[in-house]
Amino acid sequence: MANRYDDKKFGEVVRDYVRGAISRRQFIVRGAQLGLSAAVLAKLTRPSRAAANLVDSDPASPYESPITPERVAFLKTKPYKGTTINVMVLKATVGDGLKYHVPHWEQATGGKVNVAEVPIETLHTQIFSDLSSGLGKYDTYMTGAWFYGDFFVPKDPYIVPVEKFIADPKHSYWDPDQWLPAMRKLYSWNEKVYGVLFDGDAQALYYRKDEFAKKENQDKFKAKYNYDLPAPPKTTKEYHDVADFFTGWDWNGDGQKDWGISLHAKVNEQGFFHFLTLSAPFVVSPDNKYYFFNPDTMKPLINSEGHVRALEDYVKFLANGPKEEISWTLGQGWNLFLDGHSATEPTWGDLPTLAQDPKTSKVQGKMGAAPLPGTTEAFNPITGQWKKYDLNQVGNTNGGSWHCVISRLSKKQEATYDFLAFMANKKNALFNCTTGWTGVQPGMKFEYIPPMGTGKVTDWTGANPPWNEDDVVEYLKAYYAVLAAPIQQEYLRIPGAAEYWHDLDINVSAVLAGQIKPKAGLDATAAAWEKVTDRYGRDKQKALYKASFA
Amino acid sequence: MINVLWTRAGFRSRLFIQVLLVAAAIFTVIPFLWSAVNSVKTVSETFRIGAFIPFLQFQPTLDSWREVLADPQTSIAFINSCVISAGTTIFALILGVPAAYSLARYEFPVKSSDIALWFLSQRVLPPAVVLVPFYLLLVYLRLIDTWTGLILCYSTFNLAFVVVVMRDIFRDVSTEIEDAAKVEGATPWQIFWMIALPLLLDGLVVSSVLVFAFSWNEALFASALTSQAATPFSALVLASRSTRGVDFNTAGVNTLIGIVPPVIFYLFVQRYLARGLSFGAVKG
Amino acid sequence: MAARVERLEHGGYFKYALLLPAVIWVLAFTFLPLLSVIRYSFSSYVMGEGVTGFVGFQNYVNVLTSVEFWQSILVTVVYVVVAVPIELVLGFLAAWLVNLGAPGSKTFRAIIGSPLFTLEVAIGYLGVTFFTDQGGLIAVPLSVLGIHVPWMSTAYGGIAGAILLDVWRWTSFIFIIVLAGLAGIPGELYDAAVLDAKSHWQVMWHLAVPLAWPVTTIAVLLRTIECLKTFAIPFALTSGGPGTSTQTFSAMDYLTTIQFFDFGKGSAMGIVYLILVSAIIAIFFQQMRKQLT
Repeated sequence: MANRYDDKKFGEVVRDYVRGAISRRQFIVRGAQLGLSAAVLAKLTRPSRAAANLVDSDPASPYESPITPERVAFLKTKPYKGTTINVMVLKATVGDGLKYHVPHWEQATGGKVNVAEVPIETLHTQIFSDLSSGLGKYDTYMTGAWFYGDFFVPKDPYIVPVEKFIADPKHSYWDPDQWLPAMRKLYSWNEKVYGVLFDGDAQALYYRKDEFAKKENQDKFKAKYNYDLPAPPKTTKEYHDVADFFTGWDWNGDGQKDWGISLHAKVNEQGFFHFLTLSAPFVVSPDNKYYFFNPDTMKPLINSEGHVRALEDYVKFLANGPKEEISWTLGQGWNLFLDGHSATEPTWGDLPTLAQDPKTSKVQGKMGAAPLPGTTEAFNPITGQWKKYDLNQVGNTNGGSWHCVISRLSKKQEATYDFLAFMANKKNALFNCTTGWTGVQPGMKFEYIPPMGTGKVTDWTGANPPWNEDDVVEYLKAYYAVLAAPIQQEYLRIPGAAEYWHDLDINVSAVLAGQIKPKAGLDATAAAWEKVTDRYGRDKQKALYKASFA
Repeated sequence: MINVLWTRAGFRSRLFIQVLLVAAAIFTVIPFLWSAVNSVKTVSETFRIGAFIPFLQFQPTLDSWREVLADPQTSIAFINSCVISAGTTIFALILGVPAAYSLARYEFPVKSSDIALWFLSQRVLPPAVVLVPFYLLLVYLRLIDTWTGLILCYSTFNLAFVVVVMRDIFRDVSTEIEDAAKVEGATPWQIFWMIALPLLLDGLVVSSVLVFAFSWNEALFASALTSQAATPFSALVLASRSTRGVDFNTAGVNTLIGIVPPVIFYLFVQRYLARGLSFGAVKG
Repeated sequence: MAARVERLEHGGYFKYALLLPAVIWVLAFTFLPLLSVIRYSFSSYVMGEGVTGFVGFQNYVNVLTSVEFWQSILVTVVYVVVAVPIELVLGFLAAWLVNLGAPGSKTFRAIIGSPLFTLEVAIGYLGVTFFTDQGGLIAVPLSVLGIHVPWMSTAYGGIAGAILLDVWRWTSFIFIIVLAGLAGIPGELYDAAVLDAKSHWQVMWHLAVPLAWPVTTIAVLLRTIECLKTFAIPFALTSGGPGTSTQTFSAMDYLTTIQFFDFGKGSAMGIVYLILVSAIIAIFFQQMRKQLT
């Protein structure tokens, strides 16, 4: 029995399994032959429905692939003729992505979709006003992953699980087992799936591969720091060195001094995710998965020694970017990198996506991507101990991961699900994540290219606008690594998540502006969090916090 | 009406005055020009240093304009705003002008200036505080996402402008003509409708301009109390901010489009301002 | 100065017929909401559960001991105290100049009045493109001259920037109202004044300012009430940051009530604010009345 792991061979095994050419049992056997743990493989291939009777496509629904024969038959009856479903989405990016699929679904099923687009400012208010007032005008809402806690406050949650719909072959085919586990969690609650695939956000480190590869830069770096320029930096210390190295001189040849790291740290505008992502390896480790709260007492962990050190560390990065970046919105932060003035940026997949557009980017083909640096020493806030590690790197699912959930008040849940599943079907989902303007990032294995996934590079290089092949490989490789990392930063999904994050946001922003010291800022955050927890009810929050991990 | 101070002024004074006026005009116009410049840039150009003059420093593009104008929601929102603002203005005038007149002319158990003050107090509270009760009220009345719902809310809050402004105007207007009419046997209603009102056109213009402008501009209630059918343009502008942050070129387009209807309204009515109000300063 | 017409007559039912529709309308639509707000201010509210309990004055205590609350009041007060007088002076001067009737006055009137019709949210976003070091129309030329104002990265810079935008947008409010007032001053009064006075500015100061005083007062009062509620322009520009250092009261209440559904605290904040501002207005009105009689 061969015990050596062979990337290429495993890729083939995976492909065969997904296409239904080999059975689950054969997959486990072959994977084990290549040296992988049979137990892990078994877990990854939790059986769902039989994939065997899928066909590649059918003229009944030209935008679905693959498709079940039951669905083909179902569609012939134009089943949703006379039914209108009401959808509330975000205006722009992901909302546009959803709108794209509307006419295709209407054509295939006879139904109608009524889309209401609201600004991101008022989405949360609109959703919960509609639900809590009983008005229930909308069947489904496009929601951010951090809204989930709020859905589960009432005894009868505001949203319905979708597993019974998934099992029904007459709806569009998509497989929740294809999710990378960290992403699946965001769509589930208490092990039940509530959301239908759409967007999958995570932050990664993006850097100028070309600049890191230049011999003169490497020589200069080695001369200054006595080790090779790490491409990419693997520890926080290395990241600081890299950022310092690229700051303050003109390495891109345009006559202006350039920078080591670009941040979009504006308050009230998702800037605090930088801190969440960069601080994770200081606190999350193989020995501790809790970042926000102590699960037994519901006391905030946010002002632990590890968090404080992480914030002090984060502040040091300010020297590697323009002073103004503490007030930069997303576009401004990305622009510094896309215009070629910054060597790195820790942010979302929007960056490599926007990099493909020659109108906004000078760095197409130059993207390097990697998981964010880790630490060599992490703090366990539960036990209060520091511990050394060779390299503690932490994955994350930070971001919105926008997707639709079905309202309990909806009278057309099945039809609504049908539309959502349509967009989750492989062909449509691939369109979403390869097409830049949708703002959708990949979360399912078929969206990644081998050896991690089962997709094809041509899905991306053939999209409109087309991706540069090197960029795609870098991006997907890093993104996958972030999402599939065994140690993950938790995602806060309890009621009031927006408020907890806001309190952290304003204090981190104040620290960045020099208005308050890191420890004081995090202490203030913890105090504010206690008030929020008390308002929602400590015991209730504790129960929901524990449930959100499942 | 040319002021005697102008006709008597020497050349240097006139020049000085004109220069000041031109400076004021330039100061006012620059943001509009800058909006226009931003509206023809790509997103990355909105952040570029030195991209001030189109064609000379960057290549302009009509992409943002096309995007906004092609979006069906733009024209719907536009119409919604026009209807809501106009409806609010008319309704506020209908309710407010008679009230102002009666407060100016008659005695009430409560001092009329206190009543006016009470109307004014409706403008004090920030809308965020009362949004939720209004939302629930509209749910109860089934007026969420309707023109009527917003007109209802805006009229309530903007009545103050009409009452306060018109009351002071009425108090100032000479009552001699009214007294004469009364002697002739005119009913109070006839006096109000046919004599007092026409003399106060200017006051009506000022009040209606204010109410229209404030209704047009209001964004909070607009975005929270509507989701689709009745979404006004102000709520749409909020959506310049998406999951990708603010699109400054789109914001530029929105600024310019957004100003068109109220300015048309203003240009149409502002010539009536020439006749002037004096708010009790001078007895006519 | 002529006395104001103060002939209040007894008008029987007619006067009520004119007044009551407006009063009933406002009462109907503000009484219940106001009661609601008061009720919330004494309760604890959780979105999804509704009112979860009666907490007495706890919300008020939280508000009055909240550093963030007082910071937002301070930011708002600074904003109003700087912006409104500037708008008053500029608006009055502009109205005066336009009122002289020089050639092109009608055009100037249209131009200078136009910012009133812009959307504050759009102006706030536009503001970023004025003040950012990345290509800002104001920031970049200033920095070329060697003046580096940290518009976007400090509290002072942010408030200054917001005030600048506010002045641009709201001077037209004062302008329109005062212009209407100045236009009501009959030409003959100027003819008379010109014979007495030595200079142009003296005429303005001794004639127009007193006569336009009532108009101007109304304009300033209205503007102040609005400015105290300022939200869109500063928030769209700085989002209240860095930290909460440019957060106005309205912004804080917006976040608390609308974003976080903390109706208890948000309502208590609203009531405290209402009391503070009502007191200011009442004093203002009293002063005004004293001035006119």
